[in-house]
Amino acid sequence: MTGETVPYGEALIEVEGLKKYFSQSGGLLPGISLDTNQFPPISVGEERVKAVDDVSFDIRRGETLGLVGESGCGKSTLGRTILRLLEPTAGTISFKGEDLATLSGENLRTKRSEIQMIFQDPQASLDPRLTVGQIIEEPMRAHGMLDDEGREARAKDLLEKAGLDPHHYNRYPHAFSGGQRQRVNLARALSVNPDFIVCDEPVSALDVSIQAQVLNTMERLQDEFGLTYLFIAHDLSVIRHISDRVAVMYLGNIVELAEKEELFENPQHPYTKALLDSIPVPDPRETGARGVLEGEVPSPVDPPSGCRFRTRCPRLIAPEAYEWDGEEWERTRSFMRAVKRRTFEPMPAAEIRAEFFGGTLPQGEPGRIVEEAIEFIATDRKAGMQTSGQAKAATDEAGTERDGPTVDWEQATDRLLEAFAEQSICARERPAYEVESEHGSGTHFAACHLHR
Amino acid sequence: MSSRSDPLLRVENLKTQFFTDAGTVRAVDGISFEVYEGEIVGLVGESGAGKSVASMSLLRLVDSPGQIVDGEITYKGETIFGLEEGPDGDLREREDMLTNEEVRTRIRGNEIAVIFQDPMESLNPVFTVGSQLREFIELNRDLSSDEARREAVDMLREVGIPDPAERYEEYPHQFSGGMRQRVLIAMALACEPNLIIADEPTTALDVTVEGQIIDLVDDLQAKYGTSFIWVTHDMGVVAEICDRVNVMYLGEIVEQAPVDELFYDTKHPYTEALLNSMPRPDRTVAELDPIRGVMPEAINPPAGCRFHPRCPDAREACKRIHPENREVARADGQPHRAACIKHDVFGDEYEESVPLEGRAQETAASATDGGESEGSGVESRSQSGNGSTSKTDWRRGGDDRE
Repeated sequence: MTGETVPYGEALIEVEGLKKYFSQSGGLLPGISLDTNQFPPISVGEERVKAVDDVSFDIRRGETLGLVGESGCGKSTLGRTILRLLEPTAGTISFKGEDLATLSGENLRTKRSEIQMIFQDPQASLDPRLTVGQIIEEPMRAHGMLDDEGREARAKDLLEKAGLDPHHYNRYPHAFSGGQRQRVNLARALSVNPDFIVCDEPVSALDVSIQAQVLNTMERLQDEFGLTYLFIAHDLSVIRHISDRVAVMYLGNIVELAEKEELFENPQHPYTKALLDSIPVPDPRETGARGVLEGEVPSPVDPPSGCRFRTRCPRLIAPEAYEWDGEEWERTRSFMRAVKRRTFEPMPAAEIRAEFFGGTLPQGEPGRIVEEAIEFIATDRKAGMQTSGQAKAATDEAGTERDGPTVDWEQATDRLLEAFAEQSICARERPAYEVESEHGSGTHFAACHLHR
Repeated sequence: MSSRSDPLLRVENLKTQFFTDAGTVRAVDGISFEVYEGEIVGLVGESGAGKSVASMSLLRLVDSPGQIVDGEITYKGETIFGLEEGPDGDLREREDMLTNEEVRTRIRGNEIAVIFQDPMESLNPVFTVGSQLREFIELNRDLSSDEARREAVDMLREVGIPDPAERYEEYPHQFSGGMRQRVLIAMALACEPNLIIADEPTTALDVTVEGQIIDLVDDLQAKYGTSFIWVTHDMGVVAEICDRVNVMYLGEIVEQAPVDELFYDTKHPYTEALLNSMPRPDRTVAELDPIRGVMPEAINPPAGCRFHPRCPDAREACKRIHPENREVARADGQPHRAACIKHDVFGDEYEESVPLEGRAQETAASATDGGESEGSGVESRSQSGNGSTSKTDWRRGGDDRE
């Protein structure tokens, strides 16, 4: 074997261009989708969920890399793909210089003794019919380690190291509390003497006071066994406590990666900022205004082009094709989003202008486009503009008693997005920049065009 | 905060117990608190502290084998629950207690509404979101079907659901978690109740969505002046949203204070320990200070102060004295109560007694790793007593009472 020993601080795992797509192939008619709003209503073609889409990073020996993101961002899929519990769609995972992505069969099986995983649900990840002793010995048996006595001795030793009483060797998982079960999981993961452990939300099912106990144990074991962790969590407080470096994921991409202190004190991606702003801080005197994110995460089947966060980003960059004065772009942007999300009620054109633009539309071309969009949704629009009431008729009839012209949200949305959002650099190019660190000496990766 | 006239809801010495084969579980054991008009009162604690049972008891929504066995719940002068001593010395329900029928038609939904934790389970998957909301309004407010429908659409818009008329026709699975929670808030608000019990409403949500929901509740609360009982385990949410807080531990309220005092002038060791054990989002904490051990089961709580086996400040007297929740300070004319005998109002027994044996060393050990102590927690948990307890003698203090 080559590269068996990696010095501390050097990359133990290098992930390069990793992709994991899931095809929606289940069901009676796989690959066929039905959409009554188009012709023909049936389309054939496989839709693929891009759970992890072109992710690159490395994990250094002895460190804890925190991976944080909201549910559905692909962080668990990433963790499982690295362990080859899932087959990667593309990319390489180099572990100690060997590409895990291409390993298979017996080679992969042997390799698994060096990479282990701890799951979120401490109850579901332990077999209720095995004693904790058997549970901890099972991986050793699978990898042909030691003899019976040796395994028992090691299991007892590990129980103690994980903070449990070795006398509990013959007990069943049900006799343990959540925190203790997670310790059994730790002991099991350690049994085969791994170098690298993927921890998928290991403490999120536990109460705060128990959480702290388990986190402390994990840190102690890391020192003792020289472990490297990939620590996946949604809780930024936990991530801040345990990580050395932190990667933030959004919709299948890593948007920012930096040393812990740098990331929390000097976040450079608008998504990271929003995430940090929205955590409730356990301090009633903390009155900082929360920059609450608008809207919802788009579908990973058809993610936005360029920067994936652009559809919600409060700092979406103005399209360079037009000239913007003062607050014109900010106003246009919020109008565009309000139309897209239909957050206001249809009203006369003058009122829309007053509400979103303070009465004056932007100068030149953008103003004309906004005017066109307003025409689609204003309640007092000219009769001649009544086109394609097709899909929206239902809305109107249900929504209000208005008998004026139909409101065409879709056309307005399309017009605005096409003219503005799609023209922004955020939509055209995928961002990847390295910015200067203010805290510590590490590199700071931020996928945001604001740093171009 | 509103004037301290009569509280909207007053709970006194409420006890809810579950009668199981293994014994009586004292899930809620004599709690008292008030909710005034327009305030958000937090009910905070770890899982198993009894906070959900307490909040469900307020609406008499406790199912068998659970039963409210003692105490009094008064809402706007009406008795939701109350007992009196009968001629034969037994406790019986009071005359003026509302009947089940009255609670169902007048109180639930109309006066006190509930928002549950899991929005998927609170909505029926086979009916559209709109029809569920409409039905609820129709039944509770006596509106015609059309009016109720219009009202439902308005409510959906009010809680920030885009394009409410269209989404009215959609099914719960077509809504995201945050949107479903908004629907539940709309449902709770629809009958303009005076009090909403929110049972961990943001726990299942992502942090950015949680932020949206908390902001929404803040806005709506300012607009409608609704009071809230906010049940949560998250101190961050408490700090963000609550006016006053009740901290629960093992069926009891151990501290009761306005939110600022709770965080900055903490009076109970449990609250203190809970705050110290939390990793912080706003600063890097080098070393977490966990509470050792696990919460014992409510079926056989420790004698004396229920927290004493895990308390860093516990002394001999804590094993004997079971402190009630007494006022230990005042803040802005509001009481700050704590159930801990280290405060002067409880006399000087604490001062005179000696620290529990081994406590000092244990504290040092557990500061670096709570593992050992939690490991031994299995003893108290499984009640089996067949394992080794060699290094955990102090923990068995609760059993020394025999």
